Amino acid sequence: MNPPPPLPPDDPGIKLRPHTYDGIQEFDQRLPNWWLYTLYGTIAFSIVYWFAYMTASVMPTDQAQVDAEMAKLAAIRLASSIDVTNDALFWDLSRNPVFVDAGKQTFNSLCVACHLASLKGKGENPAAVGPNLVDQAWIHGGTPKEIYATVSKGVLVKGMPAWEPVLGQKKSAEVVAFVLSHHQKGEPITIEVPK
Amino acid sequence: MTTGQKTIIEFNDKIVRQFMLAAIIWGAVGMLVGVLIATQLNFWQANFGQAWLSFGRLRPLHTNAVIFAFVGNMMFAGVYYSTQRLAKARLASDFLSSLHFWGWQLIIVAAAVTLPLGLTRGKEYAELIWPINIAVAAIWVVFAVNFFWTLAKRNEKSLYVALWFYIATIITVAMLYIVNHLSLPTSLTHSYPVFGGVQDALVQWWYGHNAVAFFLTTPILGIMYYFLPKAAGRPVYSYRLSVIHFWSLVFLYIWAGPHHLLNTALPNWLQLLAMTFSLMLWAPSWGGMLNGLLTLRGAWGKLRTDPVIKFFAAGVTFYGMATFEGPLLSIKSVNALAHYTDWIIGHVHAGALGWNGFMAAGMFYWLVPRLWNKPLYSQSLANLHFWLGTFGILLYVAAMWASGITQGLMLNATTEGGTILKYPNFLETLNSIRPLMLLRVVGGGLYLTGFLIMAYNVWRSVRGAQAVNGTIEVYVEPREPAEKLSLAGAFLNAPVIFSSLGFLAACIWLFTTGWLNIIGLVGTAFCVLLAIGHFQTRGTAWGEWYDKLLLNALPFTVLTFLSVAVGGLIQIIPMLTIERRLQTEDRVAQVYTPLELAGRDLYVREGCYTCHSQMIRTLVPDVMRYGDYSRLGESIWDHPFQWGSKRNGPDLARVGGKYNDAWHFDHMLDPRAISTGSNMPAYTWLHKSNTDYASLSAKIRVQRTLGVPFPNWSPADIDRIAHDQAKQIAKELREQGRYTDPDKEIVALISYLQTLGKKWEPAGATP
Repeated sequence: MNPPPPLPPDDPGIKLRPHTYDGIQEFDQRLPNWWLYTLYGTIAFSIVYWFAYMTASVMPTDQAQVDAEMAKLAAIRLASSIDVTNDALFWDLSRNPVFVDAGKQTFNSLCVACHLASLKGKGENPAAVGPNLVDQAWIHGGTPKEIYATVSKGVLVKGMPAWEPVLGQKKSAEVVAFVLSHHQKGEPITIEVPK
Repeated sequence: MTTGQKTIIEFNDKIVRQFMLAAIIWGAVGMLVGVLIATQLNFWQANFGQAWLSFGRLRPLHTNAVIFAFVGNMMFAGVYYSTQRLAKARLASDFLSSLHFWGWQLIIVAAAVTLPLGLTRGKEYAELIWPINIAVAAIWVVFAVNFFWTLAKRNEKSLYVALWFYIATIITVAMLYIVNHLSLPTSLTHSYPVFGGVQDALVQWWYGHNAVAFFLTTPILGIMYYFLPKAAGRPVYSYRLSVIHFWSLVFLYIWAGPHHLLNTALPNWLQLLAMTFSLMLWAPSWGGMLNGLLTLRGAWGKLRTDPVIKFFAAGVTFYGMATFEGPLLSIKSVNALAHYTDWIIGHVHAGALGWNGFMAAGMFYWLVPRLWNKPLYSQSLANLHFWLGTFGILLYVAAMWASGITQGLMLNATTEGGTILKYPNFLETLNSIRPLMLLRVVGGGLYLTGFLIMAYNVWRSVRGAQAVNGTIEVYVEPREPAEKLSLAGAFLNAPVIFSSLGFLAACIWLFTTGWLNIIGLVGTAFCVLLAIGHFQTRGTAWGEWYDKLLLNALPFTVLTFLSVAVGGLIQIIPMLTIERRLQTEDRVAQVYTPLELAGRDLYVREGCYTCHSQMIRTLVPDVMRYGDYSRLGESIWDHPFQWGSKRNGPDLARVGGKYNDAWHFDHMLDPRAISTGSNMPAYTWLHKSNTDYASLSAKIRVQRTLGVPFPNWSPADIDRIAHDQAKQIAKELREQGRYTDPDKEIVALISYLQTLGKKWEPAGATP
């Protein structure tokens, strides 16, 4: 079986190499220019990049960058923070449909797993993890500021996670407003000690 | 030229047939496991409630089977077939060949038994336990001896480019495998790696990345250089390109390993080296693709008719795609989005299915008629295999791109002026990619179907066929002394001297400051200019030297070894020699209690690291989601490190204290009871099996030997402390309404999970 005659290489000056290996022949083509430029380009970029980060240190380190950005975010949060100890403010929020609806959304995505969609938790299903949020018995305090503290800092021993680091202050306050929308200002609060 | 003695050599093709058939069988098994675990990501019930079928245990089996059983056996078949013909010599030893084959199959069987049992070292693609590690190293040495002995007996004096790649493969894999598997046993089936924390991470990814390079890439490139021009009947496109891309590839590849650790706590200089060397690797990788595709010029007509050419052309194209994607993913900002997501899974499957799988198929279809002297049973079935396979991979890869980018963007999305995460619940991001994960199962299933069709086709072809061994007539010529390269000749010549001096100067530039730095930079430039000048004027001498080097296998091997070894040495040695306590950033971990250590070993046994990372990167979305970024010192005593490489679930670096013990108790029993929509397996067996207290004293003794500052407890102390802590946790669980025997594994695991992110003190607080 004779192989077909080799095609002429790109450059007519290029010959087949004299040696064959088990019938395999090799051209000796020049390296394509675009390939060479890619190689040189990546080398040049690497040198510049290394120089910028390691020699000249004009770029901040990853750690410094994150720290700076987190500080910036903390500043934004502080600037727009509300007084979370003001019970009257929470009652106002709980009568505002925009706040309550937003809180309901968050509640439905994160809180229902333990407190159920009815908010009744153990009150509806004894196997549920979270307590009832619509009755007047509270375990960790039933005033708005106490409820906010429970939501934001959690009660780790009981399995309630701290939500403020995840949700931020606004969304946490919305959730509290949603819960309070099921209650009336001035209704009796009993402190329940769980069995 | 025909002065020598004429003899006829019969090749040992039996070993090629054996390895080929083994590759097909194990390939099918490995891919089947892949389809199963991909299914489990959508349908958690698909593990049938069995510990040994759970994702964390089968994922290592899948990766090990595809890499070492499928590609391994396929590579040995290709290497043994082509080496005999390129060396014009029969394999040196039939005994070693058989030992190699049966030893390797035994190792695979051992892996297939131990991994589902949860016997693991907890490091990716290095999970096999230490007795099997020793067997792998020994069989690899058998392979090496058989190969180099054959080269020593060769009748074709000059080494063809395929053999260069085989040489690089054999020596590099040996080096990587041995270093990354250094362990101290605590029992017959358990050991701890000698490296811990960041050192272990660095060594692991030096190995992991270069297993891809030197197990899945270089041997297959060698196979391409032999089988592709053979099948096409065309000369190789460019010898010059072979030389340049071979040496640049083997030199550069090693340095890129830490790109698996970008944006982590890994020191910045290593991240920079990894990223830049990955970028520089792009052109050398594409050199291999060019030499493959351009060799097909003039043979494109065969693309329509010959399945072999179809598979080779597509395989090389996928290689080009994957090696473009690799550097892209190594750019730190791209990596910030893509790392830990399905994009990486898509990337590796473009390589494994597209490049390895298709090159294997092309080679098998080419070999079958030649090894059994009978035409392939069905060309149509081979074509069907090709189209099913191609469609399957494209579906797989496209689904994974979409999935990875979607989840990456969702995880990074913020709202309210960037102050909070838009999707704080990880499960929201997981559930949005479920349809794409399902498409992946379909794509993988199609690919597997094609592969099974190939298996059937091969079986029908070889059934009842007469196996034939190739023969060749050679003139055995005495070696001429002029061909011999002395040691000095190998090293004292322009290309090697310029490369070495240039490299030395570049290192001075990289790792010094002040005047030395400038001297290094100027020196590097000077060496490059000098080399260019010398090449322009004396280029033919360079070529003549290289032709001569190709006649001398030993100097060639030594130079290859030096090229691959140097990158690892420069990256790893500084990290190993610097005192561990100085590599802590501002925090240093406290040692685990005995019970926590037992829990950690359970975490490793169940393969939790296959879905959960323990590394909060220096990225704002990571910090917002998981807490303060991880410091080196926090994992400094971890043998093995568990930073992870994929987040099918959330990061766990700071999960300790986030939930109460009852949460973990319930969650491990039935994850969906707490996390609606979770795809995590239910680990019911942890609530039934007893914690292995008895092994703790041996484990702690070994960890002390490795430098972990455990107190000098007696075995009785260890037992007492562990039991006391278990009782304490069981008591807390009881207070939370969960009743368990303190000796159950779940208690130990909870003790470990609750320490994550908690056990550190400011660095320098204690000696």
